[in-house]
Amino acid sequence: MVDLGLKTLLFDKVRFLITVSGVAFAVTLVLVQGGLFVGLLDNSTITIEKLGADLWITSKNSPNLDFVHQFPDSNLYRARSVPGISRADNLILSFMQVALPTGAEETTIVYAMQDFSRWGVPWELEAGSLDGLESGSFVAFDESASKRFGPFEVGDYREVNGHRFRVVGKTRGAKSFTTTPLAFMDFHRAQELQPDLLSGKTSYIVVKLAPDADPAAVKAELERRLPYNDVYTAKAWAERSRDYWVANTGIGFNAFLTVFLGCLVGVVVVAQTLYTSTMEHLKEFGTVKAIGGSNLDIYRMLGQQASIAAVVGFALGYVPAELLKPVIAGAGLKLIIRPELTAVVFVGTVVLCLLSAIVSFRKVKNIDPALVFRT
Amino acid sequence: MFTVVAEDVTKTFREGRETVAVLKGASLHVEAGEVVALEGPSGSGKTTFLSILGCLLSATSGHVVIAGEKVDQARPSACQAVRRRHIGFVFQQFNLFPALTAAENVEYALNLKGVDGTAAKAQARELLERVGMADRMRFLPRDLSGGQKQRVAIARALVASPSVILADEPTANLDASVATQVLELFGELARREQRSLLIVTHDPRVRHVADRVVGIADGRIAA
Ligand SMILES: Nc1ncnc2c1ncn2[C@@H]1O[C@H](COP(=O)(O)OP(=O)(O)OP(=O)(O)O)[C@@H](O)[C@H]1O
Ligand SMILES: [Mg+2]
Repeated sequence: MVDLGLKTLLFDKVRFLITVSGVAFAVTLVLVQGGLFVGLLDNSTITIEKLGADLWITSKNSPNLDFVHQFPDSNLYRARSVPGISRADNLILSFMQVALPTGAEETTIVYAMQDFSRWGVPWELEAGSLDGLESGSFVAFDESASKRFGPFEVGDYREVNGHRFRVVGKTRGAKSFTTTPLAFMDFHRAQELQPDLLSGKTSYIVVKLAPDADPAAVKAELERRLPYNDVYTAKAWAERSRDYWVANTGIGFNAFLTVFLGCLVGVVVVAQTLYTSTMEHLKEFGTVKAIGGSNLDIYRMLGQQASIAAVVGFALGYVPAELLKPVIAGAGLKLIIRPELTAVVFVGTVVLCLLSAIVSFRKVKNIDPALVFRT
Repeated sequence: MFTVVAEDVTKTFREGRETVAVLKGASLHVEAGEVVALEGPSGSGKTTFLSILGCLLSATSGHVVIAGEKVDQARPSACQAVRRRHIGFVFQQFNLFPALTAAENVEYALNLKGVDGTAAKAQARELLERVGMADRMRFLPRDLSGGQKQRVAIARALVASPSVILADEPTANLDASVATQVLELFGELARREQRSLLIVTHDPRVRHVADRVVGIADGRIAA
């Protein structure tokens, strides 16, 4: 079979290049925007995933991980008495102020527990250690804080809410959705720092189930014993937190808009080049019909051309998206291109390219057959 | 046996409110192996008539039978089948595919008519040899002269042995000596293989190869 579609497509190399670069541009745009969106959301719940709790007990109707309301820390004992629980601990999450040498203040989100070593947070230590956190005014900051607080080292002193703390650890990757860096300190120390807010209070109770426990049953029992709290599975809590950001900030809409615009750019470019190319080759299509081809033969050819443009364009668009990862990381953002995203963008590219070929289909269908005789 | 039968063919074009009757009862019969030249002034409807015979355009009324099959424009797929089985076209502009070599142009036409693979390659070669283009098989149309292009186009029209070859001004873009060569080749092929050949033309040289010359005037065919 002589591949007229492919040969014609590649015959005009410049046009082919314009088509695929249009597709590639759109693909890069959508991948980067989608990846940034996933990256931001990933930040917003990374501590939920890393901590490793099966269940999260929150104050009633908490919308989101970062927007906490405190509740009595003694609830912990009621929680612990529920069968099927292997471990339950209080967790404070609170916004505090760090004084900068310049006199300015910056916000940090403090995570405070009695014993971090039993949980997965913080998950990466660049320097120092969290051992003995409870034995003094000790704090660990995330390395990302150096962007806001200026460079710091383990052994330095920083003032948190007016109290001098020694930096004993430097973590990595612990950021919130708003990219506010996280700090880690002892549970009681945190309560002392903000007595009005935190005295006798906790923000969360995190629960690890016994290996053979039935999560639904434990959750139901916790809900029964703690009627003024909510209980979520880690997955549900993370989802709720993410949904909150998507729904209540511009980011969901913003991501949707750029993805939409990216698709639009791609479709317009492909439709336009396919269409002009169809118009230019109309006489050839007429000839295909005259020498025995059908509309279907021509549709197939256009469809094939569109798919090739899609596949090549996708490949060319994927590479820069990958290459942008370090650049974006340098800007303190995370670009996460999951296989799901890649697959969706790939399928979307092919489908949209085929859709843009439909504009040309209509032209071919209504082709004036006598066109072939015209000069 | 007539391979082309056209009886009382009319064609009216509608342009906005105006209607233009181009064909007003054109009739023509062409026998197998016969070469007919169709002459007429510009705008007289030659191309229109040819398009109707070739099943590219529907007649307003009248009927057309090609190689025993009734041409029915109401059924486009039937029409396409008639075109594929029985008709070969040759155009003034050659209409070769610019991205395909001479051999591929012929081979593609074979593919459309159901001949594939090595059989198509072999037949394309053979057809190009017949029109004297064996040494230009791998040339792209842009690297061929007008006469060479028209030879390739003729080879393409001969694909799958159509009963009828319709040519619209095949020599108009060729210079005199080349035109004569092409016409002689054309006439010879038609006669030897018992194809009907209808050549629309202004070119007086066509009369030398034609068995019969008919004219078109006032929407009708006159001998
Ligand atoms: N699609 C169309 N719509 C409207 N009018 C048309 C159409 N096609 C042809 N005509 C008209 O039909 C008439 C005959 O056209 P046609 O092309 O058949 O002439 P011709 O004999 O082939 O002329 P020429 O020798 O210049 O090629 C012309 O007046 C032309 O304007
Ligand atoms: Mg004409």
